[in-house]
Amino acid sequence: MCVWSLLGAFGGCRDDARSAKAGPSSAALGGSRPRVVCTIGMIRDAAERIAGDRVEVVGLMGEGVDPHLYKASPGDVRLLSEARLVLYNGLNLEGKLGDLLVRLARRTPTVAVTERIDESRLRSPPEFRGHYDPHVWFDVSLWMQAVERVRDALIEIDGDGRGEYMQRTDAYLAELAALHEECRRELATVPRASRVLVTAHDAFGYFGRAYDVDVHGIQGISTESEPSLKDINSLVDLLVSRRVKAAFVESSVPAKYVEALVEGCRSRDHALRIGGSLYSDAMGPAGTPEGTYVGMVRHNVRTIVSALR
Amino acid sequence: MTASSASADAVKSAAPPRTAVEVHDVTVAYHRRPVIWDVDLTLPAGRLIGIVGPNGAGKTTLLKAILGLVPLASGRIEIFGRSLDDARSMIGYVPQRETVDWDFPVSVLDVVLMGRYGRLGWIRRPGRADRAAAMECLRQVGMADYHGRQISQLSGGQQQRVFLARALAQDAVVYFMDEPLAGVDAATESAVIELLRTLRSAGKTVVAVHHDLQTVADTFDHVVLLNMRVVASGPIAEVFTRDNLQKTYGGRLTLLDEAAEAVRRAARG
Amino acid sequence: MNDDLIRLLTLRDENSRVVLMGAGLLGLASGVVGSMAVLRRRALLGDALAHAALPGLCVAYLLLGDKNASAFLLGALVFGTLGVLVISFLRHHTRIKEDAAIGLVLSTFFGLGIVLSRIIQNQPSGNRAGLDGFLYGKAAAMVRQDVLLIAAVAGTILLVVTALYKEFRLLCFDRDFAGTQGWPVKRLDIGLMGLLCVCTVIGLPAVGVVLMAALLIIPAAAARFWTDRLSIMLVIAGLFGMLSALFGTAASALVAKLPAGPAVVLIATGCFVVSLLLAPRRGLIADALRRLRLSRCVGRQNVLRAIFELTESDASAGAWQPFDRLLRVRTWSSSALDRELKRAMGAGLVREDGDRYSLTERGAAEAARVVRAHRLWEMYLIAHADIAPDHVDRDADQIEHVLPADLISRLEERLRAQGRLPGDLPSSPHAIEGTSP
Repeated sequence: MCVWSLLGAFGGCRDDARSAKAGPSSAALGGSRPRVVCTIGMIRDAAERIAGDRVEVVGLMGEGVDPHLYKASPGDVRLLSEARLVLYNGLNLEGKLGDLLVRLARRTPTVAVTERIDESRLRSPPEFRGHYDPHVWFDVSLWMQAVERVRDALIEIDGDGRGEYMQRTDAYLAELAALHEECRRELATVPRASRVLVTAHDAFGYFGRAYDVDVHGIQGISTESEPSLKDINSLVDLLVSRRVKAAFVESSVPAKYVEALVEGCRSRDHALRIGGSLYSDAMGPAGTPEGTYVGMVRHNVRTIVSALR
Repeated sequence: MTASSASADAVKSAAPPRTAVEVHDVTVAYHRRPVIWDVDLTLPAGRLIGIVGPNGAGKTTLLKAILGLVPLASGRIEIFGRSLDDARSMIGYVPQRETVDWDFPVSVLDVVLMGRYGRLGWIRRPGRADRAAAMECLRQVGMADYHGRQISQLSGGQQQRVFLARALAQDAVVYFMDEPLAGVDAATESAVIELLRTLRSAGKTVVAVHHDLQTVADTFDHVVLLNMRVVASGPIAEVFTRDNLQKTYGGRLTLLDEAAEAVRRAARG
Repeated sequence: MNDDLIRLLTLRDENSRVVLMGAGLLGLASGVVGSMAVLRRRALLGDALAHAALPGLCVAYLLLGDKNASAFLLGALVFGTLGVLVISFLRHHTRIKEDAAIGLVLSTFFGLGIVLSRIIQNQPSGNRAGLDGFLYGKAAAMVRQDVLLIAAVAGTILLVVTALYKEFRLLCFDRDFAGTQGWPVKRLDIGLMGLLCVCTVIGLPAVGVVLMAALLIIPAAAARFWTDRLSIMLVIAGLFGMLSALFGTAASALVAKLPAGPAVVLIATGCFVVSLLLAPRRGLIADALRRLRLSRCVGRQNVLRAIFELTESDASAGAWQPFDRLLRVRTWSSSALDRELKRAMGAGLVREDGDRYSLTERGAAEAARVVRAHRLWEMYLIAHADIAPDHVDRDADQIEHVLPADLISRLEERLRAQGRLPGDLPSSPHAIEGTSP
C-alpha cells in the first residue's frame, strides 16, 4: 500500500515537472508535454504563439544563425529524433539538413510549413533554375499561410487542442494581417525611385514583391556564392544612378561586400551609408521585440524606411 | 664573420701550426643510439688525411660533427686551436654530391661563387674580384669552359669538380671533403688527386672521407680507421696494416679486440 | 560587353581599381615567395599555412568579436607562425620528414579550426565571423585598406628577398654548406617560411584557402620551364602571378557571377599549361621535337652505315645491297628498314634498283663520316673501359649519334697519337651480322 502510494507520488512528481500548467487533457497525451522541434526562429515563434503551453517548443537555430549553412550537431540529431513533431521551412532553406529531414520523416511527423502555399505564389527567380526562393516569411501575407500549416500540424498530433489552437491562430493571423498593412503603408512613404534595397544576399525577394521594393542581393541566393567584380560594379551603378541613400547589412552575414559598395559609391561622389542591420535568415535575440516574428519584420521595415527616405 | 676572418688571415700568413683538428671525446648519437663514440683524434696540419671504414661506420657523421652540422652528445672540437665558430673562415667543405638537388636553377659559376659568400657578409653581392677568383678556381679544376652551364647538364665527375672549385673559392686552410672520389670518371679522378697534391704543397690540410680501400695508400699521407670508434689513426705506413684493417672491417670488433689482446699478451709474456 | 571592356580598360570603377591593384600585388608577391618555397621542396607549405590559419581566425573572433578586421589577420598570422615553428621543430628534432610534418600541421590545425568554427557557428551572430568566406575568398569585397596591407606585405617580401637573395639561394641549394660557412640556417629557414606565412595570410581574405596554395605554387612551377637562372625565375614567377591576378580580375569584371579568385587561379593554370607545352628548352613540345629529330638522325645513320659496312666487308658483291641482307644487319623490322630507305632516298643519299640499294656520292661521304665516328668511339670505349667488344655496338650506336664534331676530332687525335688509327677507315672490332667473320 505504502509502496504504491510512494510510486504514485514519485510518478506524479515527474509528470508535474513537465506538465505543471497542462490542461485537463494532458493525461490523454501520455502525461507529458510533447516536444515540437522547429528549425528556424520564425517557425518557433509561430508555434509558441499558437500552441501556448500545450506543447514544448524547441528551436534549433538561434539568433544570428544562417540556415543555409547550418549543419546539425549530434545533439541536434538526438533532439530531432526524439521530437513528437518537427517543423521546418522547406524549399531547401535548411540546405544541409536535407538528408536528415528525409530520414526523420519516416518515423516522426515532419512538416514543411510552406508545403501548402500555392506554387503560383512562390518566386522562382532565373538564377534558381526550377527551384523556389525559400524566404517566404518576408511576405507577411504568405507567412500567414505557413502559420496556418503550423496550426494544422499541431492539430494533427494533438487533436484535443484543436479549439485552443484555432482560437490562438485566429488572433495571431489578425495581428499579422495588420502588420502586412503596416508594412505596405510605411514603405509607400519612400519615393518609388529610391525604393531600392541592397543587402548581402537575395533573401528579400518576397519582400520586394509584396511591398513594391526593388531588391538586390550582392551574393545571390545563397550566402555561399561569391559575386564577381562585374556584379559589384553593376550594383554601384544602380546605387549611384538611383541615388539610393543606404545599403544594408544582415545580422547573419558579414559586412564586407557592403563596405566595398560604400567605397565604390564614394569614388563617384555618392554618399552611400550603411543603413543598419536587417534580420534576414534569423531573428533577433530572444526576449527582445526583434526576437519575435512581428518584432523582426517591424524592425526591418522601420530601418529600411528611415534609411532610404 | 669579418672579425674572425681578420684573425684567420693572421693564422694563414703565420707559419703553419702542427695540429689542424683536435677531436676530444666526441660522441654523436641519433635518438640515443650512438653513431660514433669516444672519438679522440689529432689530425696534423699540412697533410692529406683519409677517413676510411665500412658502411655505416659514421665517417660522414664524424665529418659533420667536426663541422658543427650535427649536435655532439659529448666532447668538443678544436680547429687550429680555436672553436668552430672562430675558425669558420679557415674551413672549406666539399659535401657528397647526393646532398644537393642538381636541378636547381644555378650555373656553375654561381655555385663556385657561393664559396666566396663567407667573406661577403650579409646582403653584399659578389663583385668583380669575387667573380675573377671563382673563375680562377674553375680553371684549377679544369671547368672554366663550363662556367655558364646549368648544373644539371654536368656529368658526375664534373659536378664533383664544381664542388671542389667552390671549396677552393673558400680559400681555406683546412678542407673537409666527403667522398670526393666516389663515382667519378678517370679524368676527374686524376684531376682531383692532382689538386690534392697541389693543396698539400701549398701547406693546406685536407681531411677526406674516402670510399675505396684500394687507393687509400696511394692518395693520402695519414689515415683514420673508423668503425664507430677510432680503430687507429696516424701515418699510412704505421697504421695501414692488415691487422688494423681487419679490426676495422672484418668480424665483430670486440672479438677481434680480445684476440689482439691475447696475441699481445702472448708476445709480452 | 564592349561597354564593360572600356570601363575596365579606363579603370573607371573604384572597385575594379582596388581589386586589380590588390590582386596584382598579391600575385606578384605570391609568385616570388612561392618560388622559394617550391625550390625548397616545400611547395605545400603555403597550403598547410592557409589551413593552419583557420583556428587563428576562430580564436580572434572568440576573443575580440567581429569588430576588428585586422584582429582576424593577426589571429591567422599567429597560428600560421605557430604552424611554421611546429614544422621546423618536427623537422629538426624528430625523424619526421618534411612532407609528413607539413601534412601533420595542416590536418591538426585545420581540424582544431573546424571544431572552433562549429562552436562559433552555433553562437548568436556567429556567422558574422565570415569563416566560410575563409575557404573561398571574397576578392570582390576588397577595399582600399586591404590593398594598403597587401602592398605593405608585398613590398616587404620583395625587399627581403632582394636583400637576402644570395643567403636564401644558398640556403635552398646547399643547406649544409651554408651551415659550415657560419650562416644561421635555422633562422634563415624560419625567416623564409615567415615570409611565406605572411603572404598566405594576407591572401586568404581575397582568394581563400585552396586557391592561395595554388597561387603560391603554379606561377613558380610555370616559371621553371623558361629559365635556368634563379633570378630570372623569380622575375618570371612574379610576372606570371601578377598577370594571372590582373587577367583573372579583369575576367571577373567582365563576366557576371564569375568570382575573381577562381578566375585568377584558372588563368595561372593556363600559364602553366602553356609553359609546359611551349617552353623552348624544357617544354614538352620542344622535348618531343628534339627526340623526334634524334631518332630520325639515328635511323638515317643506321641505314647508311648498314649499306656501307656490308659493301666494305664483301667487296665482291659490289656496291648494291639486297634488302634481305640489309635486314639481317640489325634487329629492325622490314617496315622500319623500308621507311628508313625511303627517307634516305628522299634525301638523295641512297638509290634503289629493284630490290637492291646503294649509296649515292653524297650518301657515301655521309656514311664514311658516320662510320669513322662510330669506330673511333668503339675504339675509345674498348681502350678506356673494359667492355667486351660485342657490347660496344649497342652502346656506341646511341652515344655516337650525340657526339659533336669537335669531340670526334679530339678522339681521332688521341687514337692517332696512340698509333691506333689505322689508315682512313678502321675496321669494325666486332663481326658484322650477315657476313662471315
